[in-house]
Amino acid sequence: MEDVRIWMTGAGLVTALGRNTRETWERLVGGERGFGPVDLFEVTGQRATIAASVRGIDLPDHSGGWSRTSVFAREAAEEALVEAGVSPKSARVGLVVGGTTGGMFETEARLAKLHAEPYTREGKKALSEMLTHPLTSTGDRLFECLGPFVCVRTICSACSSGANALVIGALWLLSGKVDAVLAGGSDGLCRLTFSGFNALAAMDPDPCRPFDRRRRGLSLGEGAGFVVLERASDARTRGRTPIAELAGWALAAEAHHITNPEPAGKVAAGVVRDALLRARISPAEVDYVNAHGTGTPLNDAMESAALRLALGEESHRIPVSSSKGQIGHTLGAAGAVEAILTALAVARGVLPPTIGLEEPDAACDLVHVMSAARPSHVRAALSNSFGFGGMDTVLVISQPDHGPPLEPSARKVVVTGASTLTPAGFLGARGSAALLAGPSRAARARPLDIEIESSLEAARARRLDRPARLGAMVAVRALDGDDTSQPNRAVAARPRVGAVFGTAFGSVDASAAFMHRLFDRGPRFASPAEFPNLVPSSPVGHVSIYLGLRGATLATADLATSGESAIVQAVELVAAGEADAIVAGSIEGASDIAERILVGLFARSSAEVDTPRAEGAAALVLEAQGHAEAREAHVLARIGEIHEWREGAELPLRSIRLSVNPSMARVILPRDHDGMGALLDDSPWRAVARLSLASSAGQHEGLGGIALAAGAGLLGEGDVQQVLIVGLAIGRGYALTLDAP
Amino acid sequence: MDPTPLSLLKTEIKGLIVKELNLQGRDPATIEDDAPLFGAGLSLDSLDALQLAMSVEEKYGVRIPEGEEAHAIFASVSALAHHVATARATA
Repeated sequence: MEDVRIWMTGAGLVTALGRNTRETWERLVGGERGFGPVDLFEVTGQRATIAASVRGIDLPDHSGGWSRTSVFAREAAEEALVEAGVSPKSARVGLVVGGTTGGMFETEARLAKLHAEPYTREGKKALSEMLTHPLTSTGDRLFECLGPFVCVRTICSACSSGANALVIGALWLLSGKVDAVLAGGSDGLCRLTFSGFNALAAMDPDPCRPFDRRRRGLSLGEGAGFVVLERASDARTRGRTPIAELAGWALAAEAHHITNPEPAGKVAAGVVRDALLRARISPAEVDYVNAHGTGTPLNDAMESAALRLALGEESHRIPVSSSKGQIGHTLGAAGAVEAILTALAVARGVLPPTIGLEEPDAACDLVHVMSAARPSHVRAALSNSFGFGGMDTVLVISQPDHGPPLEPSARKVVVTGASTLTPAGFLGARGSAALLAGPSRAARARPLDIEIESSLEAARARRLDRPARLGAMVAVRALDGDDTSQPNRAVAARPRVGAVFGTAFGSVDASAAFMHRLFDRGPRFASPAEFPNLVPSSPVGHVSIYLGLRGATLATADLATSGESAIVQAVELVAAGEADAIVAGSIEGASDIAERILVGLFARSSAEVDTPRAEGAAALVLEAQGHAEAREAHVLARIGEIHEWREGAELPLRSIRLSVNPSMARVILPRDHDGMGALLDDSPWRAVARLSLASSAGQHEGLGGIALAAGAGLLGEGDVQQVLIVGLAIGRGYALTLDAP
Repeated sequence: MDPTPLSLLKTEIKGLIVKELNLQGRDPATIEDDAPLFGAGLSLDSLDALQLAMSVEEKYGVRIPEGEEAHAIFASVSALAHHVATARATA
């Protein structure tokens, strides 16, 4: 494959300092702070009562589905597309959106009501108004108003979500999946995050003071950052000048604690080193670091230690600043917003200041850019992002053409383990294949009639809520394999093994319970232990901590194809060399609220109402073929073709190659769809037997993961040689082929 | 005045610790009155301390101060029970 450079040719920002990139940057380098009293919601009685809010935002009239988060995203995304001169209508453009709260602000008051009085008239009204703003809603709104995009990914890795969106966009450019990417993050303020960080005693009552010895915590902000990334060769052909080059990156998990960073900063230091190695840029060429710098005592000390470890002597030279004393911590947007600020520092030769820092802490011994911005030529810069659950991402942003180009890799990916949790039981690969044999009498059981509580080590699992437990169980089983005399789990201890799980709605019921306590009892009684479990990346974070997985770790969301999106994401990460193996799949906990919303939505299609929403989980171990061979792992299946498409695109079934005799292949449909039969009849797969999963695995949004685990199990048994899995949901679909080893 | 004897308070607090911090399978009676709650002993951490402070405040209406003072109060079940009893007696 050809060497590739990735250029940032457009950027858009919405922050408390401004509704575009120019205004935000000018006020940032001018040292202004965006904090003011919170007026979006009641904050009386909270430790902090200020935030860096975006002013003057109006939701569109008849705002069906428009949240503040989505409005910020649209403004930033439009600015980025206009600057880059890229139109999704005339080019193959992908969209990657990172976030944590989606439309939480718009729905949280209703959630509290739903929890307290689910069956009253008020409760029913709340339900009908909800229609939910799931995390995917931002991507869906951007698709409607700026699309079409050829592929869309919604991800969450807590406070590194925005940075990871850029990484995924870059991988799509390296693999040739798209010609340009719109990637970024957006997060609006809401009661849930505000009272959650308050409960964690993580907020400074005053505007935050990153790296200062008197720092007492973070200050929340809100906003969005989106960039257009494209291959340098394409940008040159179009005659565009880049803002900067995305020269490298790395992501890893600390596997340490759900809220606290690993104090010595060893994992974070490793991520800084790996990002520079990927960029083939040495610390001696780094002239600026835009720190995560939240202002919490733990983060700033850990990050300082990590930078000193990774940069060595050069850490005494390289200037560091944090922008959070001006725009606040924008959570899921932060990684993208700050990547743009870092790119602007590179492009304009100005280092933004660290407002709030007056007396540097001895534990934060770095070269700080203090109260005033200063001019400085920047060859290369780092942008750090660290999220709950220890999901660390570092981006390297340089002058265009400064370092060597990136070396794309396209490693083959195999499946070396699989497990499912369904009403039919807790099964390994072989047992999961049997799910395809026909309906199970237990398919209606909900919640699962399985010893969930006792199957994990009680002491280590005590912080895991039910979705996290479901995920940890299938991850352990998938890693151990069917032959329990030869557990495979030692692979989990290797450093480049990560986790990616998809979930459609996250912890709706737990969020509702948390909000109810907040409204009912007041902010002092918001549960600090519950809060970290409400971010969509919490289950995968817990899985990483429980199993000690330290490679690339994040969550995806894509409605009823959430399992497919997670597995495709994991394959992309392994193929690109970002991880050697990833435990990937889907988790859907039982949710009364999600079920009632879905029944409301689909009330007219009677079949779905009759089937209660089940809970379940699935995991596959997706591993680089060379890595699996080197450790003599038992291979169940090889990943073949991957296709994904969005609303308006033609289903690609006709172009998917059937490479074995039809009698030796199977088509697996996670759920039944009208019209799918006709489409398959018009494809090379017309004569292949079709197996449906839903009747044996129940109904939920993670069935794609279960179908893929079952398919891998089927191939591992040797009865068939090729499997096609086609998963469809509203406006989106995925098709994957698995081949015999 | 609160009539709860200190020994009963200690028993209640042990139950609260097991329930709120989800120490599954742990018999509250096996938690020693004077064993350290954090670090060694039960190995609880700062997130547990926040959760425990919230539950104690909710159950007994007693505020746990932050910072250094909290360290002393959370030293052991005995210390926590003593703080609750004193705070309630002077309320």
